[in-house]
Amino acid sequence: MARTLRNLTLNQRLGLAAFGLGALALFANPLPGPVVAVDAQEMALLVQREADHVTPQELAAWIVEGRADYRLVDLRSAKEFADYSIPGAQNVPLTDLAQPPFDRSEKLLLYSQDGTHSSQAWLLLRARGYRTAYTLNGGLDAWKNDVLFPTLREDASAEEKAAFQKPAELARYFGGTPRLASAAGATATELPRLTAGAAVAPPPTVGGGPAPRRKKKEGC
Amino acid sequence: MTTPFYKYGFFGDETSLVVAFLIGIGFGFFLERAGFGSSRKLVSQFYLNDLAVFRVMFTAIVTAMLGVTYLGWIGVLDLTLVYMVPTFWVAQIVGGVLLGVGFAVGGYCPGTSPAAVVMGHLDAITYIAGIFAGVFTFALAFPLLRGLYTAGEMGTVRLPEFLHLPYGLVVFGVVLMALAGFWGAGWVEKRFGTAPEAR
Repeated sequence: MARTLRNLTLNQRLGLAAFGLGALALFANPLPGPVVAVDAQEMALLVQREADHVTPQELAAWIVEGRADYRLVDLRSAKEFADYSIPGAQNVPLTDLAQPPFDRSEKLLLYSQDGTHSSQAWLLLRARGYRTAYTLNGGLDAWKNDVLFPTLREDASAEEKAAFQKPAELARYFGGTPRLASAAGATATELPRLTAGAAVAPPPTVGGGPAPRRKKKEGC
Repeated sequence: MTTPFYKYGFFGDETSLVVAFLIGIGFGFFLERAGFGSSRKLVSQFYLNDLAVFRVMFTAIVTAMLGVTYLGWIGVLDLTLVYMVPTFWVAQIVGGVLLGVGFAVGGYCPGTSPAAVVMGHLDAITYIAGIFAGVFTFALAFPLLRGLYTAGEMGTVRLPEFLHLPYGLVVFGVVLMALAGFWGAGWVEKRFGTAPEAR
């Protein structure tokens, strides 16, 4: 056997090696399957440190600033997305996350109606190595309550009223209405009508953030 | 999974250009090293008296295929993130035939011609000028060729999915094809070659 090997030319030996590796590859399945591993401790720590989410107010500030270094992902159905979506969002149904259409280096901000689905999606993406995925705390419900229709208590002090100016301004910017607590029940909380974000003023461009990163063209 | 490096954000767009440049230098070096800076050597493949091009290219395919298979298998490389050119089978067959004719007539292919230009071959400079003329003509004629450009669209497909075979079986099949091809190339050179042993 050893003698036969010694008598082979280099090319024949390389051919033999390729044959061996090819035969062993019969048992290989190099494409990642649907099963992922989760570092439970790391996940728990991230959640505890609150490093897993962004609040609606923070997101609102990003949009107003015109930041373009993140991708806002709406995980709800296409119909719900068509009815209302946060400006700049992209609709990606939860089921598409088995093969996520994102780069690992992208900053992803996920939201769903109440934050449940987005938290689940966050776990799925983190487990698949998307280290810069975040959820919108409280989902669209929180966006509605905190950004679009912020509420001021009727018996609020003068300072509280002064501090309310900013959220009230933000609410109007996004097409919502600031409310007074007593009248909250009566005030309509209908979501602003959005036709491709038309109801919302475009983010100010003066000194705006970096231009949206265009997808790099790949191939040879 | 930690690779592909670019997709995992280990380096950005600018660095990726530097990496591409270095890989290109390596590619050109090995093409020249294999003797592919000479149009005579390249064209002799079509006269069946020297099948070095076939051997080198098929060796590269098998090496790369085994490499990504094993890297994917041990969990280092996420193969779903590796860019694949979408398949347009009609457009690609027509393009392949055109490229083949250009290869036989001009003596180079798009990869070997820059390597030969660097070595100072005048025929390669002419060839590159031809490539650019072709690219410009194509761009100007694109409205007429749009239908052909996307003919036979199949999306991005891998052989295992297309053939409904296990991934490993396809890998083994390609290795067997290569080994049979190498053996066949030796036979063809003996039959048609002028002096196969001298090469």
